Amino acid sequence: MTKDGVQGAAEETDQAQSKKGLKKQQKEAEKAAKKAEKQAKLAADQQTTDEDDFAKDRYGVSPMVQSSQRLDRVLVRVQELTLEKSDQLIWVRARIHTSRAKGKQCFLVLRQQQFNVQALVAVGERASKQMVKFAANINKESIVDVEAVVRKVEQKIESCSQQDVELHVERIFVISQAEPRLPLQLEDCVRPEGEGDEDGRATVNQDTRLDNRVIDLRTTTSQAIFRLQSGVCQLFRDTLMNKGFVEIQTPKIISAASEGGANVFTVSYFKTSAYLAQSPQLYKQMCICADFDKVFCVGPVFRAEDSNTHRHLTEFVGLDIELAFNYHYHEVIESITDTMVQIFKGLRDKFQTEIQTVGKQFPSEPFKFLEPTLRLEYQEGVAMLREAGVEMGDEEDLSTPNEKLLGRLVKEKYDTDFYVLDKYPLAVRPFYTMPDPTDNKYSNSYDMFMRGEEILSGAQRIHDAQLLTERAIHHNIDLEKIKAYIDSFRFGAPPHGGGGIGLERVCMLYLGLHNVRQTSMFPRDPKRLTP
Amino acid sequence: VSFGDEGCNLETGDQYNTTDLLDFRGCVYINVHFTFCPAQVPVLQRSNGPALSGLVTIATYLVREANRAELLGESAEHRAIVQQWLEYRVTKVDGCQKEDIKTILKDLNTYLEDKVYLAGNQFTLADTLMYYGIHHIIVDLAVQEKEKYVNVTRWFDHVQHYPGIRNHLPPVVVLKNRVYTGSHH
Repeated sequence: MTKDGVQGAAEETDQAQSKKGLKKQQKEAEKAAKKAEKQAKLAADQQTTDEDDFAKDRYGVSPMVQSSQRLDRVLVRVQELTLEKSDQLIWVRARIHTSRAKGKQCFLVLRQQQFNVQALVAVGERASKQMVKFAANINKESIVDVEAVVRKVEQKIESCSQQDVELHVERIFVISQAEPRLPLQLEDCVRPEGEGDEDGRATVNQDTRLDNRVIDLRTTTSQAIFRLQSGVCQLFRDTLMNKGFVEIQTPKIISAASEGGANVFTVSYFKTSAYLAQSPQLYKQMCICADFDKVFCVGPVFRAEDSNTHRHLTEFVGLDIELAFNYHYHEVIESITDTMVQIFKGLRDKFQTEIQTVGKQFPSEPFKFLEPTLRLEYQEGVAMLREAGVEMGDEEDLSTPNEKLLGRLVKEKYDTDFYVLDKYPLAVRPFYTMPDPTDNKYSNSYDMFMRGEEILSGAQRIHDAQLLTERAIHHNIDLEKIKAYIDSFRFGAPPHGGGGIGLERVCMLYLGLHNVRQTSMFPRDPKRLTP
Repeated sequence: VSFGDEGCNLETGDQYNTTDLLDFRGCVYINVHFTFCPAQVPVLQRSNGPALSGLVTIATYLVREANRAELLGESAEHRAIVQQWLEYRVTKVDGCQKEDIKTILKDLNTYLEDKVYLAGNQFTLADTLMYYGIHHIIVDLAVQEKEKYVNVTRWFDHVQHYPGIRNHLPPVVVLKNRVYTGSHH
């Protein structure tokens, strides 16, 4: 390049640079202008906000309730928001289930346990633009106090439990704020399994639910399940009390494993070790020998079984029964089956709402039972299984698949989901089971099944110290370890029998659910110790 | 070779005379049951001709020799369908792996939904050889699976009751009523 050329190039560069510079300057100026404009607008808005907010006092985040004053205000239950309350001005405390803003309106769904109702915040005489905006921005699950007029709706609100009315909000205050990001969405928690896959929407898997149990328990399904479970306990107690039973409490820290050494938790006990009770068996029987005649207990049972199945927990609630009888252990079976039938009837008659709610997410056939309860003998059961092509020995225990198949065969033949299988082979029962008087291959023992799964194992117990010792020796049990147990039968013991059921399993099977963790509030299994 | 009341069983490696088979009651040897041995191809040694090998070849030959050609199909189309299922037996069923069983049962179940026999409206060699071919599968199915593949089970039960077919094979129990009616479990 010539010198001229270079200079020319330099000049051009300069020009180019200044052109660039100009452009840059222009851009920056534009940016600044825009920013200023925005700020001015915000300021203006802010002014309008402060100036025009006539509803300032009718919404906001309340200071934390520290019991500073006692308001004499009646809070109506969402369940009670019906046509009866039309046009009344009421206060409600509930959670924000969902909120949706649409222009000058905000639709909220307020939820309280199993019930929910639609609420509307609309710009008007009572609510300002800012108030509607505030309502739309309240985080889901926050607890709010709402003052509103109950209004009849023209068209039923299908998605809510309260379908005939909606609330027109006049005041709304946040009592307890939820964090904006929830670990799981409640709508996802109650979505039935199949539905999720079709629409591409999520269902929540069990582990996630259990890790965030507090939120999972808020769902309508969970609320229904545990209310029903509470009902089972109550029906159990009431029925037995009415039959003249006495409720007892048995120790859970014990010196010897009651059901065999394999599945027991050990705890350190001062300078020695102790065990967590696998069942209240020994103590129930001792109470009978202590003349309490008919006893029951409700308490935790601990089984250190490393089974990761749908129906095993390491800790569960045992509902146990034991009673003395006059001449035949069938008196015991009848007492137990009658108790179970009373429970089934009570659930059917008083907990239909809960059963239907659970059925929305987990549909199943209603639970069927016969009166009097069907009782089959073990040998009959084996015959039915053989007829269906199963090969098994006369004294063989029932495997889980065979139990389930037998349940199906019984359902098909007798149309019942609940039955008793009586006279189990002696070889597969615990050492304290009374042998059959005529055929010593069999025993006076029984299992009870719901929907083909075992819920109770029971028997007539050996009440004679001598025979008990013989049977213990036959089972290679260290007599030293059960000395206290055998001693309780040495000073006159009535003939007696009983059985125990698992609360969680009974609820699971009654509702036709498939995993016992769904009916255990804070389940314990080999892999789970929290929450 | 052993002769029983209902027929005879040819074990792989057996040697026998064709005329013996034909003489026996004039019945056809449709009970050609080869011990399940995927590596070996059955061979029929004949005294008056070359040896024949292959399950379908031998079975077809015996059927013709016994003048029971109707067991191979009546029309051209019918015969083709019989051959199709004989081929299915040898290529898909024999020597199948565990993973393939589900597919076989599904195929058969769909096919048999509106048919009483595998080919046409009568009993053919296809039914016999398929029965022998899947017996070891069906005998191990649980009640629930038998209900799932309801058409296969129905066809199987029909064939196993045919005189002269089941022989020494254990009968498979088929329940009269469904016990798995619900959608769960």
